[in-house]
Amino acid sequence: MKSLSSLERTVLECLGKQSLIYTDIQEQSGLHENVCFNIIQALIIRGIIHTDGVRYKIKENLSPLMLEEINGAEAKEAESLELMEAVVGQKAERVFKIRKVAMDQRDEKIFLAMLSNLESFLQDAHKKAQSSTPLKERKVVFWGMGEVQSLMSQIVSGR
Amino acid sequence: MSLQKKSLQRYRLFFPNDTLREVSARTGIQITRVFRLFNGKPMKVGELETFEHIIMEKLKENPNHMRLTNILEEASAILTNDEMSKIIDWIERKIVARNYGRSYISLNQDNASIA
Repeated sequence: MKSLSSLERTVLECLGKQSLIYTDIQEQSGLHENVCFNIIQALIIRGIIHTDGVRYKIKENLSPLMLEEINGAEAKEAESLELMEAVVGQKAERVFKIRKVAMDQRDEKIFLAMLSNLESFLQDAHKKAQSSTPLKERKVVFWGMGEVQSLMSQIVSGR
Repeated sequence: MSLQKKSLQRYRLFFPNDTLREVSARTGIQITRVFRLFNGKPMKVGELETFEHIIMEKLKENPNHMRLTNILEEASAILTNDEMSKIIDWIERKIVARNYGRSYISLNQDNASIA
């Protein structure tokens, strides 16, 4: 597999630029002990993180190929799909709505402005609570819009 | 890869936590013989058939196995390369996620030391 899975990315996001001990990574990611341990091992094998035996850190000089695997468009698309699929499939406390909405041009502009407001709100909220909220307690939020015709033709053509 | 190696590898995929004793009980092959087989001793045809039979029985437990095999065959004939690649990526991700959840550490990971 080329790109990282969202599980692996979770561990990397916990580490960020810091060096953490195993229990901190596990605590912040909320991953089960075994899962967390296996992911860390796999990331070490892939040469993305290193350890002095106690603390773990993301390697500083990752190759461009490796960076592409982590942050490339394909990797991000795959991660988005994985997370969206998980949200759609969530059983408890599910918050998900999708609609085919008839909108005139004026309403579409209003809607886009509202999305822009939403984005600013989320950025502010994130800044405010970033330092006090561990990764496991953060919320996955997504939005998007597309025209039915172009989406359908995309589905049919397989692009 | 030899047929024997492939067969044992598939067996391990379906029964990753089986001890030698459990493999022996499941296959009816003596435990010392099982040990030798997993260490590369050539298999007899009957032994290979036993392993394959157990794998097939395990596959039959999942009614979607045949459906998946058929649909993949159809997909490779009809879908574009891009679509196939997306499906493969999706399946790979599912497998990777499930492997992380398993309580054992796979052979590769086992050999790599953290320290």
